[in-house]
Amino acid sequence: MTNKVDINIKPKRGVSLYSYAGEYGVTMSLEDMFAEMHDMGARGLEILANSHIEGYPNPSEEWLENWDRLIEKYDIVPVEYGHWVDSRLYQGRHLTAEESYEMLVRDFKLANRLGFTVLRTKLGVINNDLTPVENWREFIKMALPMAEKYNVRMCPEIHAPTLLKSMMVDDYVEFIEETGTKYFGLNIDFGVFTTQTIPASEWGPNEFIMPESDHSPVKDIIPLLPYVYCCHAKFVKMSDDFEEMTIPYEKIINTLIEHNWDGYMVSEYEGPKKDVPGYAVEQVRKHHVMMKRILGE
Amino acid sequence: MLEKPCIQSRGFKNVERNGQVIGFQVNIRSLYYRGLWLSQLRPATVTVDGETFSGDQITWTINDVTYTQAEMAELGDVHWGLLKPATLTVAKEGGLESGSHEIEVNYTYSCSYFPPVADTVLGGTQKRTLILV
Repeated sequence: MTNKVDINIKPKRGVSLYSYAGEYGVTMSLEDMFAEMHDMGARGLEILANSHIEGYPNPSEEWLENWDRLIEKYDIVPVEYGHWVDSRLYQGRHLTAEESYEMLVRDFKLANRLGFTVLRTKLGVINNDLTPVENWREFIKMALPMAEKYNVRMCPEIHAPTLLKSMMVDDYVEFIEETGTKYFGLNIDFGVFTTQTIPASEWGPNEFIMPESDHSPVKDIIPLLPYVYCCHAKFVKMSDDFEEMTIPYEKIINTLIEHNWDGYMVSEYEGPKKDVPGYAVEQVRKHHVMMKRILGE
Repeated sequence: MLEKPCIQSRGFKNVERNGQVIGFQVNIRSLYYRGLWLSQLRPATVTVDGETFSGDQITWTINDVTYTQAEMAELGDVHWGLLKPATLTVAKEGGLESGSHEIEVNYTYSCSYFPPVADTVLGGTQKRTLILV
């Protein structure tokens, strides 16, 4: 008998390649980003399908073979595949449920081929409160059997200014409970816990600054955890002593540990100077120092 | 690897057909963090040394296929990825003289996960001085 907590039941570290968006194709290739993850011991990978799959949605055999080689060489675990239902794909009308379904299934197949089991499914919205398109229940329900067939879980991202206690999250949870599905869940972006902002002067003139909004207390994630298959470990600024300056990370990660959540937290750098070569790379490294310390790795 | 600005210096040249110079080309890369379906793009305008071109004066070549801007509005299954620049071909009889030119490219795109108002905002004007050799 031991009282020791099972060290295997812990959140795991990963990286969303979105973090390196300012460098991709200019100073970093896909392989460079994988090498960077390997170097930090961050195994869990999030890609954005439209960004990182060359030739998307029909990558060449050569690209696919290279993908398999890179995953093995750098010991990467494909975790989350970011994709979109681009509901305003055509000017003047929204996609029908059938069109949305087809868009989803195309990505299920590709995600499955690349080894991903969680999808960050971004739905189109209809207003400033980010209310999803009216027919979302219809096409998500249509897609559930195919999600099961391809073993992928669709997870809309819960992102500020949405609160964890909100009609939107309630609607998603109600859908999950009604259908009893394991193939639809949630991705919580830690930006929902933002308690501070950095001075506006830290942002460059052409950078998008998230408007300030209300935040959720960390404990609000607890009842949702059974449905959370991946988290966006969003961050805005790491200090030189390895603390994130806007989001209560220690509390979040400790809450996840206490509740035996063992999914991946994928670092998502969304701070200033993404386009300054080397800046985001250093920020992500600092973020992983912080996560390792809190996780006790 | 691509050059950092949207407007690329490589690929800037005149275009000939049947021995006549009928226009010029400029390559652009997407500065958005994800690729776009062609129907998400709103028509571009290109301004060179103060003269503006639009509509059917401009074609886009993406993955070696050339589209009119009107055609693109219907192409929801053709994708412009991040690693390959698009070539904008601008109809301008006689083309451009060798030397420096002020280039401006403007286009926007829809982004369904942002509020609808964003569709007319994302993207915008890019400027660069390019040298035609």
